[in-house]
Amino acid sequence: MSQIVRSVRAWSSDVLDAWNRFWFDSTDPATLAAIRICTGAMLLYTHVVWGLELTTFFGRDGWLSPEAVGRLQDGSYAWSYLWWFESPAALWTVHVAALVVFAMLTVGLFTRVVSVLAFIAAVAYVGRATGALFGLDQINVMLAMYLMIGPAGDAFSVDRWLKARRTRGPLPVRKSWSSNVAIRLIQLHMCVIYMFAGMGKLTGAAWWDGNAMWMAFGNLEYQSLDMTWMAEWPRAMNLMAHVTVYWELFYVALIWPRLTRPVMLLLAIPLHLGIAICLGMITFGLIMLVGNLAFVSPALVRAIFGLLPAGQGRGVAEAASTNPGLRPKSDRSASASSATTRRA
Amino acid sequence: MSSQQAETDDKVKAMNRPHATPATAQPPGRGVRLLVSALVILHVGAVFMGPFAMPPQTSELAATLATVYRPYVDVLSLANGYRYFAPEPGPSHLVRYELTFDDGATRTGSFPDRNVNKPRLLYHRYFMMSEFLNTLTEPDAPSPRRDAYVKSYADHLLHETNARSVKLFLVRHWIPRMDEIRAGRKLTDKILYEERPLGTFERGAS
Repeated sequence: MSQIVRSVRAWSSDVLDAWNRFWFDSTDPATLAAIRICTGAMLLYTHVVWGLELTTFFGRDGWLSPEAVGRLQDGSYAWSYLWWFESPAALWTVHVAALVVFAMLTVGLFTRVVSVLAFIAAVAYVGRATGALFGLDQINVMLAMYLMIGPAGDAFSVDRWLKARRTRGPLPVRKSWSSNVAIRLIQLHMCVIYMFAGMGKLTGAAWWDGNAMWMAFGNLEYQSLDMTWMAEWPRAMNLMAHVTVYWELFYVALIWPRLTRPVMLLLAIPLHLGIAICLGMITFGLIMLVGNLAFVSPALVRAIFGLLPAGQGRGVAEAASTNPGLRPKSDRSASASSATTRRA
Repeated sequence: MSSQQAETDDKVKAMNRPHATPATAQPPGRGVRLLVSALVILHVGAVFMGPFAMPPQTSELAATLATVYRPYVDVLSLANGYRYFAPEPGPSHLVRYELTFDDGATRTGSFPDRNVNKPRLLYHRYFMMSEFLNTLTEPDAPSPRRDAYVKSYADHLLHETNARSVKLFLVRHWIPRMDEIRAGRKLTDKILYEERPLGTFERGAS
């Protein structure tokens, strides 16, 4: 009996240790910062496009009347500050303010404050535009939400540049557990998204008989690149449909082991770029790839930023990451204590 | 010593200062860990609950749990199904409209229209509006929510064009099979389109 108790205690202790490591290890904010730049840019573009027909969508006499959206949201806690602004002048004022916030988030200026404002603004548009939304909006809001949690401005940001100017020297990489929590939440959220995307497809016959991908490519309204020639290659269409389903279903498991993570991330690229290029959803395809960026290690992100023209990575100290993301080969043997200072 | 040399020396000193090494934060204390752990469990539960309890296919258990999570899920905009192209990619839907003006003239149009709605993201917004109408449409079943959106679209068209009345149709565009394409059928073949009326609306009518 005591052996059983000891085993259970040991297991509980292992679980607790694993939990603490998973959530509370400190990590370099480079990955979170890269996600901030991409998400900020996508939020900015998304809302610039809303601005092309701002009153047509959000005005009192717009496509989406308050009565229609209100009826749909009846009983829900969905919210939007845009309900308070009906006149074109007022709408434009808050819209421009939102654009400024998204631009500041992208460059990382007053990041802590604007990350919260960006999330509020993103949710407000989603809460008002029910009926004209799609996956892009869901992922935009999701990423904006997690950017509030971690120090997304602690790398590759104007905030950082200003601080480096004040201290007149390279700043250390400021690892933090909150950065890790933000990245972990994005990772888990991506797993939930793909799991339900995959499970939802299991009830569709076309994903089993392999015709689903053709049904997407053969849809004229989605089509941005004429792929009807693929009808000559039915087995290739079948393969793409099967790979899509299996990839989505197993993402939740295979994205975590280091051996399979690179494969899953590499497969994400053609899948989402295919959606972007062939099905006209460039923004959605790209933002899903941004979500996948959460599985890329900060060290690899810094290595990629290091490829930028001289000056853009100036003053950035590089450290090996404790975050078990996809790392560059040269980094795998490096320990957290063997960090080197690197100047671009 | 030249100013350039002095600047270089300053940089080297700065790099060697203790603060230039990576700053590894201390792990949070036990109380913070407990609090954050509780919040994380609550949040991840909500993230899961959004798609888990998403109608139409949901269990009684999921629906019950969803009522507990609903305020949190709604406020953070987590109520998403994430069922992209599921259960399978289907026919697309467009809205066609016929406007009649005071002088008896008529004009027709439809959305989405890739020649008008540019850039592509804007086109997709219009595409989602017509698709959304389809998701609210249950054939032969009353749907106040669908009716509200149809009226909203109609009112907007009347307001924008100053037409006397507008008639709306939901157009379904079926996708031909691969063997049909190989046999020469085009995606724009008329046989692939079917439409049904959504209603007629007069300017100024409530």
